[in-house]
Amino acid sequence: MSSIVAAKDLVKKFNGFTAVDGISFEIKEGECFGFLGPNGAGKTTTIRMIHCVSPKNSGELRVAGLDAGVDNRDIKRLLGVIPQELNLDEDLTTYENLVLYAGFFDIPRPEARERIMELLEFVELKAKMKNRITQLSTGMKRRLQIARALVNQPKLIIADEPTTGLDPQARHLIWQRLRELKKRGTTMVLTTQYMEEAEQLCDEIVIMHQGKIIRQGAPDQLIREEFGAEMIEVKDAKERVFRRPATLEDVFLKLTGRHLIE
Amino acid sequence: MNLSYRFYYVWRRNLAAYKRFVIPTLLISLGEPFFYLIAMGIGLGAYMGLFGGQSYIHFLASGLIVASAMLTSTFECLYDSYVRMVLEKIWDALIATPLLAEDIIAGDIVWGMFRGVISGFLMYLVAALLGVLPVSPSIVLTLFVLMVLIGILFGSLAMIVTSFAPSFDFFNYYTELVVSPIFFFSGVFFPLDKMPEWIKFIANLFPLTHAVVIARATFDNQLNSGHWLNLLAIVAPMAVAFYLALFFMKRRLIK
Ligand SMILES: Nc1ncnc2c1ncn2[C@@H]1O[C@H](COP(=O)(O)OP(=O)(O)O)[C@@H](O)[C@H]1O
Ligand SMILES: [Mg+2]
Repeated sequence: MSSIVAAKDLVKKFNGFTAVDGISFEIKEGECFGFLGPNGAGKTTTIRMIHCVSPKNSGELRVAGLDAGVDNRDIKRLLGVIPQELNLDEDLTTYENLVLYAGFFDIPRPEARERIMELLEFVELKAKMKNRITQLSTGMKRRLQIARALVNQPKLIIADEPTTGLDPQARHLIWQRLRELKKRGTTMVLTTQYMEEAEQLCDEIVIMHQGKIIRQGAPDQLIREEFGAEMIEVKDAKERVFRRPATLEDVFLKLTGRHLIE
Repeated sequence: MNLSYRFYYVWRRNLAAYKRFVIPTLLISLGEPFFYLIAMGIGLGAYMGLFGGQSYIHFLASGLIVASAMLTSTFECLYDSYVRMVLEKIWDALIATPLLAEDIIAGDIVWGMFRGVISGFLMYLVAALLGVLPVSPSIVLTLFVLMVLIGILFGSLAMIVTSFAPSFDFFNYYTELVVSPIFFFSGVFFPLDKMPEWIKFIANLFPLTHAVVIARATFDNQLNSGHWLNLLAIVAPMAVAFYLALFFMKRRLIK
């Protein structure tokens, strides 16, 4: 399998503060690649360099064989981005949001219209087509952002914490949609603070902490490597010892001495 | 600089968002010129003699048309662009598509210019309906070109200010210290020729002064080759301001 994103010694600084500190990774076509880490680890900063809205300070970054920072327009044409912050166009309706967005990719109207109807079906928002964005729930807005990211039939989907701040039910709806995309063979990059999300969706993950990648591997492989087995012994409040399956959270705790979600 | 035809998409996006507000804003935009022309033109005009052989309202209306284009494009690229950029995060979504920062900034400036041209023409419409100003295709065309240039110039200047603005309050410095003097001392309300030399000197640095001169000459059918110099006094700062607007706003957007 060929790689769609390849980063080598990637560095990003903000006024002397190093947000991404020399990371290297490779994302293969067809896989779901996760960046797992607590708030401030540098996940969004990394993602923003991949989709060419933030220039790197040093290192190499190639996306679909193109040079990030040079071929920005061509790279952005190939990507679908689901940003961490909601940024739908509140002045417009659900449908208008998608039609205008398709226009930014030079997609002709008739073709856009057809795709949009399919996508609205896919994210179960057809009934809300003519509603203004202000009339949608947060979960619906997140789903609309997924549809919007798919409008240009991207080679790579980038989802930045797609379920942060959602209630469990809305979260499961998003997971369902992302799993469905995965089944269709879509390449995905996902960032998350939830180990459950990473375990559910990702084939390969990197654990990020303070701008560095501290481990990389498949989720179960990481657990096995750190704990030898998939069961660990823990003590409850009454000092009774019992065994339970280890999680990525345990891996993270062991590596950094800190919890993922603080 | 990396500007492409895609700036048009940003203009189109703003138009789509604006549709909902067309009726209320048109009413407001029609009411304002009416108020100005009646109150100042007719009210003040009653106490004044003739201005170059014509009534005060005739003198005033031709200047107000271009001044109105200036004010509208200024406010659009201050407050409205700031809202789109900072509060509504519209630009964050745009920049994740094949649009680059330059396309977005230019698209917003062109939108500000567009709003300015419309408000200038509304002023013209009211003045024409009041029988104050003549109408002809060549006048309309000249005014259009003039207001496009003024709109891009003042949209760009406003965009430069917005690129440094930490909040809304910041805009007051610019509107009170720069835009207001230009509005009052560009010969819109009174002729400059009886002013002290130093005021004349400063007024001649204001691009609006030159636009007002061209607008008056257009209505009085007195355009001549000397007006190319007036045009240059608008186009040259426009080109510089447009370039700087892209430069400074890009610096704010791309981090
Ligand atoms: N535009 C910026 N200016 C200054 N610091 C920033 C900027 N963006 C991010 N940072 C800092 O970089 C670090 C990593 O941020 P981010 O990539 O958003 O983390 P994550 O997405 O993993 O929560 C944080 O300490 C954050 O404060
Ligand atoms: Mg983040």
